[in-house]
Amino acid sequence: MNVPMLVDFQPLLPDLVLLVGALWLLILDLLMPHGRKRLMAGGAIVTLLAAAAATWLYDPIGTVWGGAYLGTGLAVFLKRLFYVGGAVAVLGARTHVNEAYARRQGEYYLTMLFSILGMSLLTGARDLILLVVAFELMSIPLYVLTAFPRDDKRATEGAVKLYLVGAASSATLLFGLSLLFGLAHDTSILAIATHVQAHPSPLALVGAAMVIGGLGFKIGIFPFHMWVPDAYEGGHTPFIVFLSALPKIAGFTVFIQLLLARNGALATMALAPLLVLSVTTLIAGNFLALRQSNVKRLLAFSGVSHVGFLMLALLTRSELGLGMLLFYGVGYVFTNMGAFLVVHAVKNGGGGDDSIASFDGLVRRNGWLAAAMLAFLLSLAGIPFMVGFWAKLFVFLAVWEAGFYGLVVFGASISVLALFYYLRVVRAMFMNPPANEAVIDVDPVTNTAIVLCLLAVVGIGLYPGPLYDAARVAAVGFIGN
Amino acid sequence: MRTLDLALISVFAPLIIAVLLIIVAPLRRAGRAAAALSVGGAFASVFASVALTLARLADNRVPEIFETTWLPEAGKSAATIGLQIDGISAPMLAVVSIVAFCVQVFSLEYMADENDEDYGRYFTWHSLFLFSMQALVVAPNILQLFCAWELVGLCSYLLIGFYYKKPSAARAALKAFWVTKFADLGLLIGLIVQYAAVGTFGWDAETVAKLGALGVVPVAVAALYFLAVMGKSAQFPLHVWLPDAMEGPTPVSALLHAATMVAAGVYLIVRAYPIFQAAPQVMVAMSVIGGVTAVFAAIVAIGQNDIKRVLAYSTCSQLGYMVAALGAGSLFGGYFHLGTHAFFKAMLFLSAGSVIHAVHSNDLSHMGGLSKKMKWTTLTFSVGSLALAGFPGLSGFFSKDQILESLWEGTHRDPLFWIPFLACLATVGITAYYMSRVVFLAFFGKLGEHAHHAHEGGIAMRLPLLILLVPTVIGGLFGGQFLGLLALPEVEFHLTHVTPVGVVALVLAFGGIGLGYVLNMTPAGAGLASATAPVAAFIEYGAVDRFWLGAYNLLMMALSRVFAWLDRYVVDGMLNGIGAGALTAGEWLRRFQTGRATDYVYVVMLGVVGLTIWSQFAALVGGSR
Repeated sequence: MNVPMLVDFQPLLPDLVLLVGALWLLILDLLMPHGRKRLMAGGAIVTLLAAAAATWLYDPIGTVWGGAYLGTGLAVFLKRLFYVGGAVAVLGARTHVNEAYARRQGEYYLTMLFSILGMSLLTGARDLILLVVAFELMSIPLYVLTAFPRDDKRATEGAVKLYLVGAASSATLLFGLSLLFGLAHDTSILAIATHVQAHPSPLALVGAAMVIGGLGFKIGIFPFHMWVPDAYEGGHTPFIVFLSALPKIAGFTVFIQLLLARNGALATMALAPLLVLSVTTLIAGNFLALRQSNVKRLLAFSGVSHVGFLMLALLTRSELGLGMLLFYGVGYVFTNMGAFLVVHAVKNGGGGDDSIASFDGLVRRNGWLAAAMLAFLLSLAGIPFMVGFWAKLFVFLAVWEAGFYGLVVFGASISVLALFYYLRVVRAMFMNPPANEAVIDVDPVTNTAIVLCLLAVVGIGLYPGPLYDAARVAAVGFIGN
Repeated sequence: MRTLDLALISVFAPLIIAVLLIIVAPLRRAGRAAAALSVGGAFASVFASVALTLARLADNRVPEIFETTWLPEAGKSAATIGLQIDGISAPMLAVVSIVAFCVQVFSLEYMADENDEDYGRYFTWHSLFLFSMQALVVAPNILQLFCAWELVGLCSYLLIGFYYKKPSAARAALKAFWVTKFADLGLLIGLIVQYAAVGTFGWDAETVAKLGALGVVPVAVAALYFLAVMGKSAQFPLHVWLPDAMEGPTPVSALLHAATMVAAGVYLIVRAYPIFQAAPQVMVAMSVIGGVTAVFAAIVAIGQNDIKRVLAYSTCSQLGYMVAALGAGSLFGGYFHLGTHAFFKAMLFLSAGSVIHAVHSNDLSHMGGLSKKMKWTTLTFSVGSLALAGFPGLSGFFSKDQILESLWEGTHRDPLFWIPFLACLATVGITAYYMSRVVFLAFFGKLGEHAHHAHEGGIAMRLPLLILLVPTVIGGLFGGQFLGLLALPEVEFHLTHVTPVGVVALVLAFGGIGLGYVLNMTPAGAGLASATAPVAAFIEYGAVDRFWLGAYNLLMMALSRVFAWLDRYVVDGMLNGIGAGALTAGEWLRRFQTGRATDYVYVVMLGVVGLTIWSQFAALVGGSR
């Protein structure tokens, strides 16, 4: 009998680093005097960066737990995104967390780290059991984090809502998965996909539909998106920075694992619902964003529409499409985090109530914030020399190659519509007179986080080559297995 | 200096200045210093661009392309970024930078009333615009061109909306951005189609040969590219944004809406001409649309009383000329007219700016008799108008002749070319009329109510006008050299080449000028009024005035009004309607956001049930797969 050695866990080494780091922080949090707890953020960032470094230092390709976890190029790519994105989110939240929950801040980062650990495990989960466990490991900390501002009625209300709808959707997902398990008599995703491919049955379709519905909640597909704007509006913005970006990509990771296995067996079976959902998501997200007067709600709906674009990439079921989905994911994470960080900085610096009107004349109150926000909005709108442009272009290229010509025309047209509401914010920032001339101050830590997002958005926007190549390489060989 | 160095200077000098001004806020807020830097950057660009053009004139054998991999893909390159210097891009670099330089110098004084911060901001956007335009011109492939194209659109948004405190300006900026952005979809989808079909973004012979072998694909690609051209170069019916864009500062109109940005669409056709040539159907459609735009915009221009709007419609009309010629297969005619038009139209706009600066009004009825007050501006505006009307010897005459010739030749090949040919021929007469109308109303006759205190601007406003006067007058004489740059051995250019078409055009031009004189100067209105003086005596002066105005409207402006109405309410209204419909749909959808958690759970469940039922239904209908 083989005794598992540490070396057998090599593909999970980054996750182990993360776990050890998180546990170490847990102990440290208990021992640390209150006055020094602001160092916890640094600990979390070091842990995340160490985990990211581990993906480079060790070869995380291979199989663990008898195939339940499969380290692939895709898993490594996504892990890096989650770790680096998570580190930026921690950095962006640090000042706020230090001010708002000085005594509990250790818990905040711990919870966040465990959520990221869940995402990290999802990247290679090839077995339903691991998939569900990792999925809940990612989700439950999110409910906790939403309720973190205990005294804020809106935040707790939002957390309860999020939890209720989340539980319903998890139940749906599990129901769907158990139907699939019942058909294939196996918890391995590959076995299920193979079975479904060989014996398509109406029951399998029901299972797939329930999986899509359940996951659709997590990533905010229309009509399962309704919690998104409420949660964003009610939640504390530094947390929304995290919630709006990484869990969505984690949800897509599950989609990728389930739907694209074995040449996209399940996705092919459920192609029509997926197609309709992506189109309706694009329409609803963009049209609902048009009349929002709150920037956070506007960004929430814009996020819904971006999910629609990611769905388009998923529909291709091709290696190119998967690669471009990854590229889009990176662009989305940093653009969106940057935009929410600016929203946070404006409000925190005395700039009002998150309404579009509170951005009036921002260029006069803090030119740097206005310029950064402009870059993020242009990236979200898909204007050249920002990462968002390449993301859209590449997704369209992949969708076109997959033969969905109409979808490209539709997607491109709707992205023009999107300009309309992004420009409303731009106009407020640059053209409207400010409500008052008071300068908006931003603390250096939050500023650093914004700079990092901006560097990613503009840097990749100017020279997308390396990320493009990396995303394509990461996708190679995944679909066929 | 090496070609690469010159090209880099011509493109990046303005960018360096723009970035400097964006980052170093105190410099930008200093106003004057920012302006000086910006003008300096533009001058460096002029120097390098002119040097490049001279070098191309000396030796135009091989295009020099400096490029590097932009999108590496598995060891090879999916797309490049770089500079393509050849006979097509070098003269365009020179035209763009010279006009931009003149406009910036003019703005030094024209914008002097702005506070320091706005003044600095204005020049920052100008530098950024110049960079984007030059990057567009030197683009070695359609992908880089598209990126620069979008950046140009963004700068246009910023510059049109410069007077952002004026709601109409902010609205116009948004409208321009939206209309062109919609048209840009064509470019985006077109380049996706091209890349999917042949695997490159280029316009070289090899790519075009591959594309040409694919049947309907080149037609689709060319048609999609042309959609973007229609937006950027204000071709009917997507021209609606251009007249509104006149809300921006007048020097901006001179730069963007006369010489450079709107010409970018025409430049795209010139640059990607091989692709268009692979799609003859698109070429014919292009020519017809160009012709229709030319005559339509010219007719609307007759009835405009805002001096800038006359020039805006005139620009539409002239761009229609270029597109019509390019569609008829005359690369030289279309591109040559782009060059000559850039100079004289920029000069006309700057002269108009000089007038507006002096009388503080755009309205022609407030001007009149300005020739007594503003000699230099009268000279430049009149010469510009003559060039536009096609007066023999001036630059516009030669390029317009080329266009009409090429359309005439086109009618031998395909009867459809009669449409653009006749339209453009008629436009010659109409253009001559409406320009002479403006000249007579603004500069001659009795002194207008706002004109009493008018005076010529300072040296910063006069110098650019005089610089632009040179190419306006003698630019046409260099048609041969220009032709040499394009390397078109089959085309000939003669300065003294009399053709029947040319004679007809000349007659029409003089007829138009004469009509303008008769109707506005003698004026026919006054003559008729004296003949009917007894009747007038019974009616108060205002009524007679209104009557004549009404008669004039009926006779001369009815057609113009109809077109203007169509323009405003039908074409424009359709676009506005789409926008309003979008907002209504958004309102309707918003009702579903109730904020109650149970509702959301119901919806999730309902969605899942719906998906399930539907998937079952689909399985039933589709049978067991």
